[in-house]
Amino acid sequence: MRSISKKNELSTGRSGSAGFGKKLTKQWQLLLMSVPMLLYVLLFNYGPMWGWITAFQDYKPKKGITGSEFVGLKNFKWLFSRPDFLQSIRNTLGMSVINLVLGTITSILLAILLNEVRHTGFKRVVQTVTYLPHFLSMVIVVGMAQNIFASNGPINQFLTGVGLIKTPIFFLGEGKLFWWLVGIINVWKEVGWNTIIYIAAMTAIDPSLYEAASIDGAGRFAKIRYITLPGIKSTFVILLIMNIGHLMEAGFELQYLLSSSLTIDWAQTIDIFVLKYGISKQQYGVATAAGMFKSIVAIILLFTANTIAKKLDESTLV
Amino acid sequence: MKKVLAAALALTMLAAPVFSVPVKAAEAQEPITLTVFRGDPGDQPAEDNKIYKKIEEEFGVKFEFEFLAGDLDEKLGMMIAGEDYPDLFDGGNSADLIIQNGALINLLDYVSPEKTPRLWAHIEPQLNRIIEKDEDGNDVMYIIPNYGLADGEQIVNQVNGPAFFIQKQVLEWGGYPQIHTLNEYFDLLDRFIEANPTDENGTPYTGFDILCEDWRHFCLINPVQHLMGRPNDGEVLVDINSDDFYTETFIDKPYAKAYYQKLNEQFHKGLISRDTFVMNYDQYIAALSSGTVLGMFDQTWDFNNATFALQDANMYKNTYVALGLVYDPEYVDGKEIEEHYVNGSLPNLRRGFGISVNCECPERIVAMWEEMMSDEWQMLFNWGVEGEDYYVEDGRLMMTEEQYANSLNNNWKLHNKAEAFTQSSPKKQGWIMDGELAGNCWEPANQPEIVFGQMSEYDKAFLSAYGYQKFADFVNPPIELAPYGEAWQIDYTPVDIAHQDFLDIQDKMLPELIMCDPADFDALWDDFVEQITPSATEFGEYMWGAVQAEAAKVLGE
Amino acid sequence: MEKTAVAGKSNKIKTDRVFPVVNTIILVALMFFTLYPVLNTVAYSFNEGTDALRGNIGLLPRKFSLDSYKSILSDAAVYRAAWISASKTVLITLLNLFWTSMLAYALSRKEFVLRKLITVIMVLTMYVNAGLIPNYLLISKTLNLSNKYLVYIIPCMFSCFNMIVIRTYIANLPEALVESARIDGAGDIRIFWQIIFPLCKPVLATVALFVAVGSWNSWFDTYLYAGGKKNLYTLQYLLKMKLATTQASANAAKSTAEAMTTLGQTTPITIRCAITVIATVPILVVYPFLQQYFVKGIALGSVKE
Repeated sequence: MRSISKKNELSTGRSGSAGFGKKLTKQWQLLLMSVPMLLYVLLFNYGPMWGWITAFQDYKPKKGITGSEFVGLKNFKWLFSRPDFLQSIRNTLGMSVINLVLGTITSILLAILLNEVRHTGFKRVVQTVTYLPHFLSMVIVVGMAQNIFASNGPINQFLTGVGLIKTPIFFLGEGKLFWWLVGIINVWKEVGWNTIIYIAAMTAIDPSLYEAASIDGAGRFAKIRYITLPGIKSTFVILLIMNIGHLMEAGFELQYLLSSSLTIDWAQTIDIFVLKYGISKQQYGVATAAGMFKSIVAIILLFTANTIAKKLDESTLV
Repeated sequence: MKKVLAAALALTMLAAPVFSVPVKAAEAQEPITLTVFRGDPGDQPAEDNKIYKKIEEEFGVKFEFEFLAGDLDEKLGMMIAGEDYPDLFDGGNSADLIIQNGALINLLDYVSPEKTPRLWAHIEPQLNRIIEKDEDGNDVMYIIPNYGLADGEQIVNQVNGPAFFIQKQVLEWGGYPQIHTLNEYFDLLDRFIEANPTDENGTPYTGFDILCEDWRHFCLINPVQHLMGRPNDGEVLVDINSDDFYTETFIDKPYAKAYYQKLNEQFHKGLISRDTFVMNYDQYIAALSSGTVLGMFDQTWDFNNATFALQDANMYKNTYVALGLVYDPEYVDGKEIEEHYVNGSLPNLRRGFGISVNCECPERIVAMWEEMMSDEWQMLFNWGVEGEDYYVEDGRLMMTEEQYANSLNNNWKLHNKAEAFTQSSPKKQGWIMDGELAGNCWEPANQPEIVFGQMSEYDKAFLSAYGYQKFADFVNPPIELAPYGEAWQIDYTPVDIAHQDFLDIQDKMLPELIMCDPADFDALWDDFVEQITPSATEFGEYMWGAVQAEAAKVLGE
Repeated sequence: MEKTAVAGKSNKIKTDRVFPVVNTIILVALMFFTLYPVLNTVAYSFNEGTDALRGNIGLLPRKFSLDSYKSILSDAAVYRAAWISASKTVLITLLNLFWTSMLAYALSRKEFVLRKLITVIMVLTMYVNAGLIPNYLLISKTLNLSNKYLVYIIPCMFSCFNMIVIRTYIANLPEALVESARIDGAGDIRIFWQIIFPLCKPVLATVALFVAVGSWNSWFDTYLYAGGKKNLYTLQYLLKMKLATTQASANAAKSTAEAMTTLGQTTPITIRCAITVIATVPILVVYPFLQQYFVKGIALGSVKE
């Protein structure tokens, strides 16, 4: 089926301009379905893009974009002259890779486990309970995490109790552990929520496939491997591509709340950096420059991931 | 595409002034609604609020309040970009931003001895500080300070600002000693904790906590100036005796090293726990509220909630006394340092309501303020309605238990007080100077009958053991306010980045210094000084110039 | 679809018996870890404020008190704000589902000649952001939406992420459905509306959940565009304001050097927890109605026949 549609696509792509116009006329219904939102994003998402000009300005809100002074690449140069900006790029990427890997694996795993539950009531209860932490505010979650990981907190008590360690681990004060703490807290808070999308994807799997496999004598793991996983593969790939594009976003609130001056070298993300030097110090040009840098990297990452997926003959985003 | 964008952009810019919302032009007493923005959070007053009702009856003025919900600088940035200014504009801690962007009108066009005698009398004593020069050198006043213009002798019942704090039970255990120096303080804590390692429930005591979270890091970085005998100047030390107000950052100086070396020593004795450096504010308050933290450097208001929790649990012996510590002579070349933690009262410059350039009836607002400076209105704002909210007995202003409880109840206040408005407006504070009520306080919270009427038996006994009348007696009386005011009020925007670096290095390295191996301390200190010198120099030099400029305003040079 | 390699029979029986038990244990353990913080939050919300400052509360309140709820719910403004929040959430969800799914269908059609171009334009919106000020000026000045109810609706009608999720789902549906309908002479609009849309219930329920929760929880739009209009406050904005106000005593003192006292039996800790509970309960009430669609799955087979 895939090969057929692929051929279709290729032929449309290569058709001449005359054919294009004709085809478009024929596809007026599809066009009608797309145009409203196309105009919508042009206005709401692309309309304000003039703001990127301020990346090259010493922008002052009062003077506006026409009155502010142009400074060339000064804002970018300033950013890249700051060691802590480079550090924040490293931290952002490090934490988002950990988040992406841990988050994806755990949510797919949970989706599979839930899918294997026969009892609908139990399934719904588990599903509801696991997504609840999504609604707790970060302040609450971080507060709990700080108590749990404290020197005299339950985790250290457990580890010293069973004799794994002699002195408590300084979880909250060790820069090198910070990324992993963020990863664990994110999984804890979001795993149930992130699972929803995979559970929904699994509903599209034709139940008769499982029946047929059972008749063929396939075991539980075989069914997971040959039916469930392929069934959610395209969702997985598409989400992965989108998330690779988002690698420059590692969040802000969690790191901000969980970090201390002892861990700041490992905790400061680009977003925190921008808040600290951009908005709070009225360096709007710098904030825009950092945003622009993020966007450009994101787009490069996105299209790279998309191209790789295409090469591997997987579903693609674009 | 580019052209389209440019056109859209031009349109947007043109549109800006055209769309700004016009306020209804106001005739004398035609009813109007004033839009009000306050740069801090708050609750909307109740519809039936009795004070706002009176204001509406008297002045024909209603208010539509907006309080701050998110980040102040972000919000102000939007308002400036769109020129969306309310009529009454309190920019909170970032008021400088709206002033610099020309959002406020010059009040000197409306406030004068002739036009507004009461307001003028109110600001006159501090006029030198309040009036500033704009870019063109003209006299300007954008904001009438909302606090700190008090009548009569300064009221100091307790230390409200910075101090070293110690639990009362420690002093009690030590036989009510006089504690005035750093060594005396830590020595007492050491001895107490050695004799009493845990509280009654077996929870170990923490000797000394240092809160480092975010802007509250002043607990870590501010003490040195006070140990050197100065009140709060933020992050610089001013030599008040020098002719040119010599100003320097103190954190990188040898006399600061002594403090952090002392903390290092105490850390290795176990008096300070490493967890204090990763503690957030909630955990800090929880620790203090549990009564197991014996001492800390902080400011009284910063841990109000913990004090309430301790009082609520009847743990008065675990509440704190503010001590004014100075260095022992051994740390400062044998010099005896005189303690000054409490400063003369200081107008809250550039804080409070300004009137925005979008407001169409500035005269009317100023006239209203003028009228509100009358004793009747001030009594109404501060004490409320006689018979309902307070009573007078033998010329003294009093409150019943119930009235007092009401005055502290937030929900009640939304119906019966106009705090959303009065907190940012010009107001009378201090002592009532004239009339039948002379000798009372403008603010119920300062009225001696209320302050001392609320004191617990434990506290009374504690004070009498020392032979003191009030908790402020533990420190010296206020010194005269320096001509430059307090240096933390100075706007350092021009050296913002250097200042941020300056703070970041302290935040990062001071905990390291406190925790490091004592053998490494000297080397690490040198490293710290080397790292911080560039930003410290830039910030310090700027501040010196600014301190001199502020002082010159007052001294008239 | 490939046919499956078959595992050994004894092995199969063993896993079939052991697996459900292990699975149940894992899921129950997971429930404990996720439920504990939630119940802990509930416990704090029902605790007395000053007592809660001391921390160390587990699954039950230590000193029971309804003060936090009373102080929030006694304010009549909360109910108006809840109405604003609910109505805008319903409107946004319906509009968003309509526009997003329609576009998703169009972009799932591989023969659509503008598919690639439009997809790229849409996808980029997830990664480029002009910054706050230009967006603010667009909505508040150019479109003049400030202090109007529509400011909650108009800027939130579309989300590319959700469009992609729906598109991916549609792409997984059997192509034969569309082809046979087309042979019957149906146009794309009819195919979408009569065949694809009903089949998308699970993913639409998912997306509806995302949109509704996002809309219900947002406070930033009020903060930017309607902060001066208390009639337009949303529940989250109002709750956030209440929390900020409770915390403000210290902040106010910071700026005014005034030690303000706001006594009472509520503190930021308990207010924050009560707010979380109040804001989450409506979602919990609505959730099962959406959940049934994506937990059970739909009988695709029957449609195919």
